[in-house]
Amino acid sequence: MDGILSEKHRIVRRSVRSFCDREIRPIAGEIDREARFPWEVVEKMGKLGYFGIQAPRELGGADLDSVSYAIIVEEISRASGSLGLCVTVHNSVALYPILAFGSEAQQEKWAKPLAGGEKIGAFCLTEPNAGSDASGIEATAVSDGDAYVVNANKVFVTNGGVADICLLFLKTNPSGDRREISVVVAERGTPGFVVGDLEDLCGMRANPVSSIRLYDCRLPLDNLLGREGMGLKIGLAALDTGRMGIAAQALGIAQAALEEGILYARQRRQFRVPISKHQAIRMMIADMGTLVEASRLMTYRAAALKDSGKRFSQESAMAKLFASEACCKVTDMAVQIHGGYGYSKSYPVERYYRDARVTRIYEGSSEVHRMVIARGVLGKK
Amino acid sequence: MVCIKSVILAAPEEQVVRTEDTSELNPFDRPVLEAALRLKELHGGRVTAISMGPEASLSALSEARAMGVDREILISDPAFAGSDTLATSTVLGAGLQKLVPFDLVLFGVRTADSDTGQVGPQTSVQLGIPFISMVSGIEWQKDVFRVERVADHFLEEYEVTSPVAFTIHPGAFEPRDLGLSGIGRAFESERVERWNLSDLGLVPERVGDAGSPTRVISMMRVKETKKCEFLKGDAREQADELMKRLSESGAIGA
Repeated sequence: MDGILSEKHRIVRRSVRSFCDREIRPIAGEIDREARFPWEVVEKMGKLGYFGIQAPRELGGADLDSVSYAIIVEEISRASGSLGLCVTVHNSVALYPILAFGSEAQQEKWAKPLAGGEKIGAFCLTEPNAGSDASGIEATAVSDGDAYVVNANKVFVTNGGVADICLLFLKTNPSGDRREISVVVAERGTPGFVVGDLEDLCGMRANPVSSIRLYDCRLPLDNLLGREGMGLKIGLAALDTGRMGIAAQALGIAQAALEEGILYARQRRQFRVPISKHQAIRMMIADMGTLVEASRLMTYRAAALKDSGKRFSQESAMAKLFASEACCKVTDMAVQIHGGYGYSKSYPVERYYRDARVTRIYEGSSEVHRMVIARGVLGKK
Repeated sequence: MVCIKSVILAAPEEQVVRTEDTSELNPFDRPVLEAALRLKELHGGRVTAISMGPEASLSALSEARAMGVDREILISDPAFAGSDTLATSTVLGAGLQKLVPFDLVLFGVRTADSDTGQVGPQTSVQLGIPFISMVSGIEWQKDVFRVERVADHFLEEYEVTSPVAFTIHPGAFEPRDLGLSGIGRAFESERVERWNLSDLGLVPERVGDAGSPTRVISMMRVKETKKCEFLKGDAREQADELMKRLSESGAIGA
């Protein structure tokens, strides 16, 4: 790993960690309990560039590489999974597609406020009847004069309750070929744009995940990202980067759980010694440390491949699969080490345990990832 | 002018090896850079960061650049190896001489690795300029600095003309968070200037091992021991005895 990380990456980690330890960690438990989105911290994060990590400087971004991106998401998630989620979704599946596929005017209009953290972005693909099978979406956009008339029911939208700029996956040719999926940008406040109730989720509770519905909402034709029919291509490109972000997020949560596990194992005494002296606990700590380190290597390697301009889809899929499953195992062991206290809200490990679970589900479930990975490993034969 | 150092984070097996992996900006220097940058924001001017050390010290200068300093200078030469605080002050003094005119030279109170606290005052002596230690507040008022310093529960105020040197109280200026684009920019291009022995016009005899009157003979970890003692007498006598011991040891005020 020392071959991947440079001095710049170490300074990125140190400065983000110091910010998170001071501003996020102390409130992470409270915002989870209250299911509150901490605007006061999010504004500071925006000023420091956390919402435009890889956007070019002329658009107000920090123009950092993917390894830095992974480190930043890891560190924020180490403090709060919910805020790590906010940052990774905003950067990789809302802002990135606009940078990669948007026109100059669209970048000026949307990428700039997104990169500066003045506006929050969201990615609206999932519907009640379409998740893993993205081509099965039912939302429609029918062109009418200078606008699309959009009807959609999007669910489980991360950042949904606070997002100003939403990437909507829609069928632009509803009666035609099922591949005719396109991405149209909708701004909050447009007549017909409705933010549904916040979801009452098991974890990631400080993120305002909601449904977003559009009722005969007129969106200018200029809001189309790329061309009609490019939706799946844009979605897949966004998810390649997004997966790396989720891997980094899972890694950060697992790292936090490992640290809490070590701390508690050293403090808690049973049979007259700290429980860290008991072999059963040591075996768990060894597994936790190994899983975290392996997740880190896989995540950074996928990011480094991206930075060197090489293909990284397979590696980022493997990193996401491994890191999310490792995160569930590590947080489970952290709870186990804490015993009854681990099951109580008095310690943060129960939050890590709840936050961990969804990393195996969103941005492609473990099962979908295994399908994708198997295709890569076996080839097309 | 801010003099900073890249310190050692860990010395595995008691071996001190300075590499970029094991070094970082001395934490006592961050508030110093913060103080300098705040003065610049209020009154203009330029902030230059200077570090003496091997190539690994570049990391400290890069971090200073990410914070917002205008110019970075690395003073590095194999002849400097083994310098004690006097030789270090000789080198820094010679470097600062090349940068005259300046208004202010700032140092951290001490370093996190060797912890002598001598380089700031000694360098001021080399330069022949006034020096105030542990400064916790600086105001620039038309050619004079008004500074505050807290010592022994007294707040001292000084007025001093430039050029002058201060060490900065580590808690006085909360260092800013680094913006990500600042970090990105700091590593984009090689901007650090490098000066060596001959650039400074120094002779080898005054620096490094040769120019260092002090020798570290050995260094070992101190084992802390704890002793538990039960005070005798009734509760009142025990309390009196405890108060007496605490105040004698200086743990509480008399």
